[in-house]
Amino acid sequence: MTARTLAWTGFLAVAAFVLMAAGRITALDPVENLTLVVTAPMQRALHDATTPIANWVNDFTDSSGLSSENAKLRAENERLTNDLARAREDATQLKNAQDANAIKQQFPADRFLSASVIARDSSNARRIVAIDRGSADGVKEGMIVVSEGRSLVGTVSKTFSGYAWVTLITDPKSAVSAMVQESRAEGVVAGDYGGSLDMEFVGQGAIVKQGDFVITSGIGGGYPPGIVIGRVSQVKNAEQDLFQSVQVDRLASLDQIEQVMVLTSFEPKTIAQP
Amino acid sequence: MRYWLGGVLVFFLALVQASSVQQFHVLGVVPNLMLVLLAAWLVVRGLDDVLPMIAVAGITLGLIGLQTPGLVLLALLPLAAFGVVRELHIVHSEVLLVLALVAASTVAYEGVMLLSVVGTGGARDIGAAVTRDVAPSVAVNMALTLPVYAVMRVARPVERRHRLSY
Repeated sequence: MTARTLAWTGFLAVAAFVLMAAGRITALDPVENLTLVVTAPMQRALHDATTPIANWVNDFTDSSGLSSENAKLRAENERLTNDLARAREDATQLKNAQDANAIKQQFPADRFLSASVIARDSSNARRIVAIDRGSADGVKEGMIVVSEGRSLVGTVSKTFSGYAWVTLITDPKSAVSAMVQESRAEGVVAGDYGGSLDMEFVGQGAIVKQGDFVITSGIGGGYPPGIVIGRVSQVKNAEQDLFQSVQVDRLASLDQIEQVMVLTSFEPKTIAQP
Repeated sequence: MRYWLGGVLVFFLALVQASSVQQFHVLGVVPNLMLVLLAAWLVVRGLDDVLPMIAVAGITLGLIGLQTPGLVLLALLPLAAFGVVRELHIVHSEVLLVLALVAASTVAYEGVMLLSVVGTGGARDIGAAVTRDVAPSVAVNMALTLPVYAVMRVARPVERRHRLSY
């Protein structure tokens, strides 16, 4: 290795850490915003041009096959499941002797802002997308993003004037206070590597069955209650474990999602420690 | 190769990686065309030639690909360290060398990405990370290596283009 090569490598290593530090204090936000503004049309064109090829390759390599048809069925299933889950939730609320006014207060008229996905995280470790709405449209960090079928997609994690980053619920850094709709067992739905969802901290005594709906619990103030996340796909219950191992099958098809809705009528609340 | 031409090529490739390649999910992961191309470039052209390209690739992919600025650059840097192996002439087959470099640099790249997730409060299930992310990424990137390397051979200086060893 020559001295020139060593100098280059050292310079790049220093530059990487300087850039990371600058990113931490949001010093690079204007550059990132400008980059998205300039490259978004090119990215959109490239994306659209390769979508048919990508669909073909994904169909060909997908072990379960026919992923595009699966995506359509998933979207339809998501809509129907959401209707069913909402109906069940309403029934539960009524069963708990809450009158219509009380329900209306808990679920105020939601206001949504439609947005298109314009870019995706290029790594395998993270699950982040960029949407074409930003602070100029009233989007704020922490706002909730749902799919067109109204199931949970993620949270706005960073805003620019015309764009925003959305951290998907499948991101390994995502954690959502949740509960099983049928038994009201509470836990935290966390993203894991490979895009899977696990419901953690579900006590051994809680009744959780395959097929149960998982919805946001609203605890912590970060998410409104009652938004559907998915359905329980697998439950492992070992006696020696403190908690049950619950896997959740998300409703929204997040890998190929193109349109989302930002829930602008809900702003997350930060609850002080007691 | 003129550096500005390489810079433009890498910038365009970053756009392709962030907008087109990320649509392809093979074995549940997205191929890293940028990493494969840089590894092939390293074998064909040498470390001095590829270092400026790593800089351009790291910065542009970081900005375009919704990454933490500097993180992609850091994740690509082990490629430079592995590039020293080329200078040692342990193996004389370029194909074997480029395959080994892609495998090692993919592990390093995904490792840096996973460390950044774990270090900032993300999931700590390393077993899941290895089986669902790192191992499939290595396989997919290695599968992508041969066609990319075949194209990159054209970028080799004319007098060395028909040699199988470097």
